[in-house]
Amino acid sequence: MSPSADPQANGPERNGRYFPGRGPAYWVCAGFACVALGAAGILLGYLVAESLPALRSQGWPFLLGKDWFVGENYGALPMIYGSVMATALALALALPFALGGAVFVAEFLPARARLIVKSIMELLAGVPGIVYGLLGMSFLAPWIKDAFGLIDGNSLLAAGALLGIMVLPTVMTLSEDALRSVPAEYRENALSLGLTQTEVVFSVAVPQALPGIAGAVFLGVGRAMGETIAVLLVIGGIDRIPSPWYDVFSPGQSIPSKLGREAAESLGYGLHWNALMGLGLVLLLMTMAVAFAGNLFLRRARP
Amino acid sequence: MRRRLVDSATRGLLFLTTLAGCSLLALILTAVVGRGFPSMSIEFLTREARDFGLDGGIFHQIAGTLILTASAGIVSFPIALGSALFQTEFLKSAGLKQALRIATYTLNGVPTILFGLTGYMFFGALLGMGVSWVTGALILAVMILPTVQISVLEAIESIPAHYRESGMALGLTPWAQIRSIVLPQSFYGIVTGVLLGLARAAGETAAIMFTATAFSGAGIPRSLARPVSTLQTHILVLAQEAVNPKAVANAWGAGLALTALVFALMLSALWARSRLRLESHR
Repeated sequence: MSPSADPQANGPERNGRYFPGRGPAYWVCAGFACVALGAAGILLGYLVAESLPALRSQGWPFLLGKDWFVGENYGALPMIYGSVMATALALALALPFALGGAVFVAEFLPARARLIVKSIMELLAGVPGIVYGLLGMSFLAPWIKDAFGLIDGNSLLAAGALLGIMVLPTVMTLSEDALRSVPAEYRENALSLGLTQTEVVFSVAVPQALPGIAGAVFLGVGRAMGETIAVLLVIGGIDRIPSPWYDVFSPGQSIPSKLGREAAESLGYGLHWNALMGLGLVLLLMTMAVAFAGNLFLRRARP
Repeated sequence: MRRRLVDSATRGLLFLTTLAGCSLLALILTAVVGRGFPSMSIEFLTREARDFGLDGGIFHQIAGTLILTASAGIVSFPIALGSALFQTEFLKSAGLKQALRIATYTLNGVPTILFGLTGYMFFGALLGMGVSWVTGALILAVMILPTVQISVLEAIESIPAHYRESGMALGLTPWAQIRSIVLPQSFYGIVTGVLLGLARAAGETAAIMFTATAFSGAGIPRSLARPVSTLQTHILVLAQEAVNPKAVANAWGAGLALTALVFALMLSALWARSRLRLESHR
């Protein structure tokens, strides 16, 4: 039955303000609204609680240790390094295209073409991670192997390049939104001063949209850090920091790829599982920090 | 003159970056279709896998992906809709609204593998569901919740204020307002959100690979407590046998089927969204 039959459904009027009724619909919706909150809480709670034994037995070496031998010691540094390195490479490769594309689409394309490009980007973002992994394994890694004369194409560079392709649509779409939200009068003022159109874009529109663009980049970083399956297939899977540290042609391991590889082995039991949950906690904190920074910028972007 | 030249050169460069971005889709589609098509056939789609996926088809995997995705959608949709309605129709406190919004966006940024890890601990271990269809469906439901919720929320918030005011002027109760104004006016937005969520669930591997799926021997699950086999994990296992050309060929066949499924969902979502835009311009 519907609560509208209840004469009290409109609720009392307090201080002249209208308060909606608290019928069953209210409570059902309120319960559902709490699911997201609850899920976020459970997620964080489990990651903290389950990683405590590993953090306690390993201490600081958990974060700083370079060796991960199941049953002996658990050092997360190579995985943290791999995540950061692959993400940095992805950004370096994707940013020129994502930002150039965003500027072109926002400033030079007519509305119809813009919609088409945005739809293409949305489809690109929708390609399943496992299919990206398959593409990386069959095309990207062999290309890298041949181009640089490596023994094995599965490397930090392959993971970075694949991640670059995967985050390009996210960064481009959100940056484009930021550029579109710069009011047209700003551009018209600059045009009336006699600037060419590209001068207007780079001296007015881009600086104005910069917080929004930064937010878009941060969200892209978050995406890249958390991607599991595509990275797992091309990163090489060796828990080691290469020497020298900037040798991107050597295989590595990112946190998600480590989790994806080993979680099934110790599902729910033992120090190994606790250590994996610890890695998960580190990953969550890294992505949360990035997302927080991104949202800070995005909020500044729309006043 | 020089400035004019710089202007056109910059434009040309920007155009090229856009072209490069868009041609990625063409490249990816060519590669997936080119590699996947040779293994594709009616038999491949309708027969069950044999010999650990080296022989036979992917019928059970397609069915598994479909039922897992659909059940995640069925669980997620009412929660997302109820939560969005609560935020737009019932909740007046700006602080609480902000808290719910932050929770949604936080959940949206969580790496999917972490849903797998903690979801297994909660549903699989604590609630005793183990590695099963129901565990996977619930994990995917939580994972796509923010996608669906944000889409629905935006659709409801973009309903013009005078529609709502007309309802209030008629003295509609909140529930009548939802039923006769909010839901009809945001219908296509809700459809968009659900389809985007389903596409996300169908393409997800990391969250279900050790929580819901078994590689071989799992046919169509007889009950919610049984594991399923899915296209995603099938591809993953075959891809790791990279030395065997037959395995890789079948992985591409399954990859083509998965991509086709996800793109069908994405394209329907884009279509629904264009309908939403048309309606709001009327």
